[in-house]
Amino acid sequence: MIKAKQYTCIGCPIGCPLQLQHEGKDITEISGYECDRGAKYAKQEFTDPRRDMSTTVEIIGARWKRLPVKVTGPVEKDRVMEAARKIHELRVRAPVKLGQILIEDFLDQKAIHVVSCRTMERID
Amino acid sequence: MLDRMEGKYDVVVVGGGPAGMGAALGARDSGAERVLILDREPEAGGILWQCIHSGFGLHYFREELTGPEYAERFFEKVIDYEVDLVTNSYVSGISVDSDGTKSVRVMNEEHGMDTVNTKSVVLSMGCRERTRGSIRIPGTRPSGVLPAGLAQKIVNLKGYLPGKRIAILGSGDIGLIMARRLTLEGCKVAGVFEIMPYSNGLTRNVVQCLEDFGIPLHLSTTVAYIHGLDRVEKITVAPVSKDLKPDMSRAWDVKCDTLLLSIGLIPENELSLSLGIQMDVVTGGPRVSSTLETSMPGVFASGNVLHVHDLVDFVTRESLLAGQFAGEWAQGVRRPADNIRLVPGDNVRYCVPHSLSPEREHTIYMRCKEAMMPCRIRVGNLMERKLRFVVPAEMIIFKIKPDLLDKFHGDTLRIDILPAEKGKRHD
Repeated sequence: MIKAKQYTCIGCPIGCPLQLQHEGKDITEISGYECDRGAKYAKQEFTDPRRDMSTTVEIIGARWKRLPVKVTGPVEKDRVMEAARKIHELRVRAPVKLGQILIEDFLDQKAIHVVSCRTMERID
Repeated sequence: MLDRMEGKYDVVVVGGGPAGMGAALGARDSGAERVLILDREPEAGGILWQCIHSGFGLHYFREELTGPEYAERFFEKVIDYEVDLVTNSYVSGISVDSDGTKSVRVMNEEHGMDTVNTKSVVLSMGCRERTRGSIRIPGTRPSGVLPAGLAQKIVNLKGYLPGKRIAILGSGDIGLIMARRLTLEGCKVAGVFEIMPYSNGLTRNVVQCLEDFGIPLHLSTTVAYIHGLDRVEKITVAPVSKDLKPDMSRAWDVKCDTLLLSIGLIPENELSLSLGIQMDVVTGGPRVSSTLETSMPGVFASGNVLHVHDLVDFVTRESLLAGQFAGEWAQGVRRPADNIRLVPGDNVRYCVPHSLSPEREHTIYMRCKEAMMPCRIRVGNLMERKLRFVVPAEMIIFKIKPDLLDKFHGDTLRIDILPAEKGKRHD
């Protein structure tokens, strides 16, 4: 049975309303886009939707109370909340360097880490 | 730190955000020896430190960075370039001597008042958020009503949450980003309310910050009343009619303890006004020549203090240029005055700079009044360019080559945005 899914393209401010028709896991048709980015986006969203992820963690002994961190690769959309909860368990002690790895192989993904997005010096 | 602020400077930069750092680097690039940044915060970098999401640097670095990463790259450069940086310092005034020397009055929490002399100044104070007062929302005056960017600072730097159940008025990008941010931190975001029939934020943010988390976006809807004595208890929201008035017969209540406002930004120009320089009533920033010089000789402006930008990359580019011109001014270079006025025409809200000179290439920054698709930009009778679309939320940037301006003999160049085909108009 053919089913339909709706997406809004994020490629540019036009925001084309995309329609993707599929039979199980097979895409039968994509429509509604004005440029190739739309078709590509709908396909990606249907097969393996992922999101960039950044948040903050507690830091002790620094100028600010929170340290900005990010995941170095996109996280599966359905695991974003789980990822946030895992990252928020971290508690970091200053000093920290920009790019310092805080969690290695995050969510069991090889070479995808949680890293610090800035340097924070120790302030006593 | 104030003891580093010594002697006479070539260029003093007011504000150490992305605009100020860019201007300082531009000034050093031009050969100016002594450059000073004054910033009121404990560290330079401005708003970037709290913008922890990614999306910065795509134009300038050709890679996607978070705000703090973008800030740190520039901060490192500022140190490398031997720019003096004095923080915790607020510039309260600037006066000009008969020989053109400027005295910058600085207030520092630790050291008190001081003045520093300089040949040229770059204004890069950025912008601030509009508050409840600017749109006069009826109701009581409880705590829990705050601008979205302030909430961002509270959450991302200070480490506490502004509330538990959040409503957001306005769909600007900061509001959308905060909807996601607070959801990730465990708050419940009850909804985003936008008075216009379209979102003011990027589509990407509507999808990834609201739809991903099932946060409703109510278009053509506004907050009609705020309830609560000490703390926000609920808000009344109502759909608006065509003239943007709330229709109370269809109003409903939303329970929340916090109302975030994402309703626009205002260039922060108290210092510019105190100097008596000419302002543009549309941008809310100074009028500037093609060297980004204000109406006061030797005083330049760039970044959000000049006009509110969409992307920090463009702030950087504009500021490097302002810094270069401020630096060469300090070294005695006096370029010929611009002889072409640039004026906004059909469907153009504003354009910056306000005048041009035929001697070099210019980058024009402008915004349209209303969406148009497809369309064309016409610059006097010099050039015409097709565009797939224009929307008010997205700045339009294009270049004008000097050979084109050489052919121009008038004194006023008008920019129009017109529909692509005669008589055919899309919205």
